[in-house]
Amino acid sequence: MANSGAPVQPPPPSPPKFKPYRHLKTLTGHSRAVSCVKFSNDGTLLASASLDKTLIIWSSSSLSQLHRLVGHSDGVSDLAWSSDSQYICSASDDRTLRIWSARPPFDCLKTLKGHAHAVFCVNFNPQSELIASGSFDETIRVWETKTGRCLNVIKAHSMPLTSVHFNRDGSLIVSGSHDGSCKIWDTQNGTLLKTLIDDKVPAVSFAKFSPNGKFILVATLNNTLKLWNYSTGKFLKIYLGHQNSSYCIMSTFSVTNGKYIVSGSEDHCVCIWDLQGKNMLQKLEGHKDTVICVTCHPTENKIASASLDNDRTVRVWVQER
Amino acid sequence: MNAPIIDPLQGDFPEVIEEYLEHGIMKCIAFNRRGTLLAAGCADGTCIIWDFETRGIAKELQDKDCNAAITSVCWSKYGHRILVSASDKSLILWDVLSGEKIARTTLEQTVLQARLHPGSSTPSLCLACPFSSAPMIVDIISGTTTVLPVLISEAGNGIAPNARSKTPDGSTTYSPSTACFNKFGDLVYTGNSKGEILIIDHGKVQVRALVPVSSGSIIRNIVFSRNGQYLLTNTNDRMIRIYENLLPMKDAHKVLDELHETLDEADEVEKLKAAGTKCLSLVQEFQDSINRIQWKAPCFSGDGEWVISGSASRGEHKIYIWDRAGHLVKILEGPKEALMDLAWHPVHPLIVSVSLTGLVYIWAKDYTENWSAFAPDFKELEENEEYVEREDEFDLMPETEKVKESDVNEDDPVDILNVEKDSAFSDSDMSQEELCFLPAIPCPEVPEQQEKCVGSSSKLPDGNQSESPLSVEAGQNGHAANNASSPLEAMENSVAGETEGTRLKRRRRPSEKGLELQAEKTKKPSKTMKPSGRLSKTSKSAAEPESSNGVNGDYASDDYS
Repeated sequence: MANSGAPVQPPPPSPPKFKPYRHLKTLTGHSRAVSCVKFSNDGTLLASASLDKTLIIWSSSSLSQLHRLVGHSDGVSDLAWSSDSQYICSASDDRTLRIWSARPPFDCLKTLKGHAHAVFCVNFNPQSELIASGSFDETIRVWETKTGRCLNVIKAHSMPLTSVHFNRDGSLIVSGSHDGSCKIWDTQNGTLLKTLIDDKVPAVSFAKFSPNGKFILVATLNNTLKLWNYSTGKFLKIYLGHQNSSYCIMSTFSVTNGKYIVSGSEDHCVCIWDLQGKNMLQKLEGHKDTVICVTCHPTENKIASASLDNDRTVRVWVQER
Repeated sequence: MNAPIIDPLQGDFPEVIEEYLEHGIMKCIAFNRRGTLLAAGCADGTCIIWDFETRGIAKELQDKDCNAAITSVCWSKYGHRILVSASDKSLILWDVLSGEKIARTTLEQTVLQARLHPGSSTPSLCLACPFSSAPMIVDIISGTTTVLPVLISEAGNGIAPNARSKTPDGSTTYSPSTACFNKFGDLVYTGNSKGEILIIDHGKVQVRALVPVSSGSIIRNIVFSRNGQYLLTNTNDRMIRIYENLLPMKDAHKVLDELHETLDEADEVEKLKAAGTKCLSLVQEFQDSINRIQWKAPCFSGDGEWVISGSASRGEHKIYIWDRAGHLVKILEGPKEALMDLAWHPVHPLIVSVSLTGLVYIWAKDYTENWSAFAPDFKELEENEEYVEREDEFDLMPETEKVKESDVNEDDPVDILNVEKDSAFSDSDMSQEELCFLPAIPCPEVPEQQEKCVGSSSKLPDGNQSESPLSVEAGQNGHAANNASSPLEAMENSVAGETEGTRLKRRRRPSEKGLELQAEKTKKPSKTMKPSGRLSKTSKSAAEPESSNGVNGDYASDDYS
């Protein structure tokens, strides 16, 4: 009975078995808490930003320090790479953003002024001719990369913004804020297209589009990560098990070898979940303070994580062979 | 118009001027295939490429030898090249990315309209319609020209116009003809002064079909829609006619050859007319029967659903919008300046029009607040609905609210990587990469000019204080050009800075509620900084908010660089 003549559908290919990550190297160089770390889009460079007012560019293959970008007069909260990996934009508590060249001589090319309070988050659009920045002054500003002109000021929220991100074609911006809402804006004219979440608590600490722009990963300060389908307005997946109730921890998608969600946690670990199954696969330990930011290499199975004041290091993790 | 005006709320077309672009005196415009870049030819011979997303200048193409006004611009299919025709009888082919001139030829007459062959991504052939002679195919690299037949004499085949009628003083008396390629460039459709459309196979330089349009009135414009399915003609009898293209998109010339085999009319002209009936069929005619307006620069919308045309009367800037069925849906009226050129954005409902003064106006839809965007579960109702409450709505513990089930299956696999193809560009064979954007290279700041600009920019209340004092010109030619003309540019930019702030940027009409909320927000006292935030700012936060109002004043003297 089992072997009838009828053809049987082959089972769908099972996702690659998860191989645990292990610690590769610890990068020291900052004298205060590291606030953000990001791989460049071509994977050759790694940049880190810190409260010590500087940014450091590392080679992602040799993990050696290449240059330190000095210029801000206050701590740096966020950084973003342009799509061609040529420029870095940093957001600082001194209310400005700076565009740096990521190639020697590593000049500061532009200083974007206009925000009335600390700038907390920044991102390039995929074509990299626009920069969106979110600030404690509750607005999103869209800047033209080439001239530094501020094209648009969007009065986005009623409390400080925690993250801004463009979608895949740059037509939408998603913003999250301490006022508990996550909103989607039209880039071209700054109109509000949708409000994804609108509960007063908990605060939305991070929001980011998926690589195909259909879903939004939202972190809220009640130890929860959710994956929303923003067109239907419903969340599809929920990821629990980490700690996140005070800091704006950045999470990301890992797609190089199977699909995972990676996030830092206030219990000093890096947490990795299976995207579909929602179960936590691994907790990477080693940091001595809250892991505030994680980033995945675009092609290799490498994760870099950054941690706060008691630790001040960037740690790089790779997958077992 | 006899037909009633359609309710404009239903249409997907622009309504008001959203913004204007200013740089010198622009004469003619063309969008690239996706509408991300707009090329504009100016009166001083430069061709400016605007980045439509940022509404800033992405590149300037200037030939040192050419100072004559540009008469037309045309993009190649994937946006890598631009063909520019100038009033000094020259045609110049530019490479967009590098800003380098590829080739230049000079013809005998100024070309009014030049179109690059749409079939290839690096075309060297173009169709040129000179000021007062027959259209010709020009190979820009080699400079050879092939004149196309434009008149068919009664007694025979299409004679190439060597038989020009010469007047006693030797000048030719050709009336202008206009022409365009079909979608893939294998056929050329020309409209001549006798009111006929000739379909010409430009490879063989032979007329293959003839379609009479109107007896005796000159055809002034002939334009295809983007998808190649519809053709419009603008004739001197003040009518715009829409034809449907019956030929297939690809290899249409082969179909015409086959058609000729089957037809056996004795007379050549009859044969061509018979072939013509199989190529185009009249769908609709538009005219303004009251004012008898002569039309100028007609074109289709990106999806071919709408037809727009400007009024050629001097002293008014009117754009008429019809749907393809013939109903006039809107008349857009701009400032009292004559209209020079018109273009509809390939994808969005935007119209760009050039006025006589050289400004480019961008028309867009008028946006009103989208109420349903303010909260996740808001839904906009078309009209008042009677609300019927549930049985247990006002119970203290309603049954239905106890269990909030998510009606989404959480175990379904979620696809975060795959992207749907963009249906608006279905025919794009992605073998050739398209040039959608010019790389944005931040031009480095020049510190000494900053002082000059700071004075003017601090007047702007909501801070365009990010004003980089540098020119908005191409960053590539950055240093050399900038140093030479920097004082002039600093002045220009400080003026530009002010005009930009006060630019004719239409404000969205905020709803009353929105204004109320904003008023509340600004009154909000010092933010209780939760210790979330990567920087524990609890000590600083108390001091910061108070200075938020004085910040703008600070900037004038702050020197962060």
